[in-house]
Amino acid sequence: MIILLFIPALTLIIFAFGLPIIHYTWLSLHSASVLTGLKLLPNYGANWIRLLNDQRFWQDVVQTLRFATVSVSLELVLAVIIALILDQKLKSIGLIRAISLLPWALPTTIMALGWRWIFNTPYGPLERLSSFIGLGSINILSSPNLAWLATVVGDVWKTTPFVALILLAGLQTIPDDLYEAFRLEGGSQKQAFFRITLPLIEPYLLLSMLFRLAQAFGVFDLIQVMTTGGPAGSTESLGLYAYLNAMRFLDFGYSSTVMLASFILLITICLIGWVILIQLKKVSTIFI
Amino acid sequence: MTMNIRNITKTLFIITIILSTIFIPQPSLSKPLEIEILMPAPFAESTKELIANFNKDKRRKVHINVTRGPLETESVSDLAISSLLLGKSPYDIILIDVTWLPKYAASGWLAQMDEWVETERWNSLADGAKEGNTYNEKIYRWPLVSDMGLLYWRTDLIETPPKTTMELLEQSLQLKRENKVRYGYVWQGKQYEGLSCVFLEVLNGFGGEWLDKNNKVHLNSDSSVQAAKWLKELISSGASPRSVSNFTENESLQVFKSGQSAFMRNWPYAWSELQKEDSEVKGKVGVTTMVSQTGEDQTATLGSWGFSITKSAKNKKLASEIIKYLTSESAQKYLFLNYGYTPTTSNLFENTTLKSNSPILANLKLALSKTKARPKTPLYAQLSDVLQRELSSVLSEDINPKEAMYKAQKRSEEILSSAGKLK
Repeated sequence: MIILLFIPALTLIIFAFGLPIIHYTWLSLHSASVLTGLKLLPNYGANWIRLLNDQRFWQDVVQTLRFATVSVSLELVLAVIIALILDQKLKSIGLIRAISLLPWALPTTIMALGWRWIFNTPYGPLERLSSFIGLGSINILSSPNLAWLATVVGDVWKTTPFVALILLAGLQTIPDDLYEAFRLEGGSQKQAFFRITLPLIEPYLLLSMLFRLAQAFGVFDLIQVMTTGGPAGSTESLGLYAYLNAMRFLDFGYSSTVMLASFILLITICLIGWVILIQLKKVSTIFI
Repeated sequence: MTMNIRNITKTLFIITIILSTIFIPQPSLSKPLEIEILMPAPFAESTKELIANFNKDKRRKVHINVTRGPLETESVSDLAISSLLLGKSPYDIILIDVTWLPKYAASGWLAQMDEWVETERWNSLADGAKEGNTYNEKIYRWPLVSDMGLLYWRTDLIETPPKTTMELLEQSLQLKRENKVRYGYVWQGKQYEGLSCVFLEVLNGFGGEWLDKNNKVHLNSDSSVQAAKWLKELISSGASPRSVSNFTENESLQVFKSGQSAFMRNWPYAWSELQKEDSEVKGKVGVTTMVSQTGEDQTATLGSWGFSITKSAKNKKLASEIIKYLTSESAQKYLFLNYGYTPTTSNLFENTTLKSNSPILANLKLALSKTKARPKTPLYAQLSDVLQRELSSVLSEDINPKEAMYKAQKRSEEILSSAGKLK
């Protein structure tokens, strides 16, 4: 009988996730493009063979991974620091917390436009600063080797507050008694951080990392607004490539293939990460 | 008794009023037919008065509703495509860019307009404006405005504009050396559609071709490599700033408008922007066609927006009449005088009122006679995307133009051949 209670949630999941995935899988097994007049013609896996041979797809996989890992790790480190500050018992902490959340509250497109302006040459503030110091023109958005770092900066700026918020919730679950007892036993501040704080907010770290990885892996709006995938395609993410295939090239079959492939990749990466984490834990319990 | 009569008159009065509202036909109450048009924001702004005038005339019993689309070309395309994918688009008329036509027509989203276009009206169009309205020899679009790439130059710095690629490069460097300007020549070098437009002009100027009539790609040719080399040289020699590889029309216009550069490649809309009060170069600007190599034709990439009727439109004939109204000669005059929109009808270029109001009408006419359309294939977006990527790598990295053009050729051929298989 208990199973009956699951039915509402289950139907929701089926409609929200199951059906779209089935639909995309179906589409990915067909030619459905401007050339077929948008009709579905079965093409027996040709989309998937094309995907495996598509250099651009693999280049985008590398770029997306690079973007996601670098920005998420930076966010986690910065968020721990920010969360520790926000956890202080200060007078106007409420106000400080509210202000620190502002970047996260801004719509991505708007803040991406802002960053595009900051990095703009020759009128952006960053450019002016660098020529004022005497570094000359840096031209970040025109350089295929550096442009992706600019997008990382934009992403980190926007989403670190979100991670910090989750970590702050974690920090507040740690009772003060623990620190007091630790101090009485002669432990230092630094030791308290590594022995008490970090282990206790670990589940929160993992949770926010998972959230952020999934989001960063599917990044679209930030890139579209800041660089439109350029220069020389160096900042193109998988999300952007799927979008281009669907909305610009009107190749819905291939677009679904790209989408599904990146979904599978994301799951694989999370699984690998999970296995590595378990192994690391085993090692650390032996040594510590 | 008196009371009674008064009461009766009162009741009668009320009854007549009620009856009259029911039986006397009231034109304002019958619902007018509604026609929905989707336009990018700038066009919705400029046609506002034309549409308001149309809607004022209640005898027509037609009301036009305009949806203001986004500002950016590609965002408008996203909106239009999303609506068309529904199968039943909420729009009867969509203002589309010249490069979308083959894609939309092949997807079966647009209605043929041949039966509403008289031969005479078609022939009244300037040659450059005839381009880009047909797919498989059927008319799917009627142009609202002619649009083509132009070379803007500063009349206060030089006497005559450059004609050849060499001259443009050298004059830019010369003016920079003399410290008259901070930058020489600004254009659109960002990885986006604008870069393809810039390249097509230069490519033709070097005697090359992108896609020929038989759908063969010619990017791996000498002229194409030379064209890419020349664009790279503009940057490496200092004739164009390095940041040009991240410029769109907007950035170019800002630099030129603030008097910081001697030359700019842009569309006709820039002219009216440059004549505004906040422009540093007001009254010091000339317009000409893009440079070419000695002996080759100067060409201008064809832009242009036009109205298409969606297949799902209920009243296509009515829609075609509204298009006729919005693109009539008087509408064109109004749009040219108030917004600088280049006319599409050839005899308007000889119109004395227009001529006396704009010193560049003759230049526009000349440029319009030299337009070149971008490849007319439903696969254009893919082809252009490949070219943009490779050109961007030439401009922003140390990639050899020859290697890049070879790659662009190979990828373009792959795209076209995979398409052949499907058919």
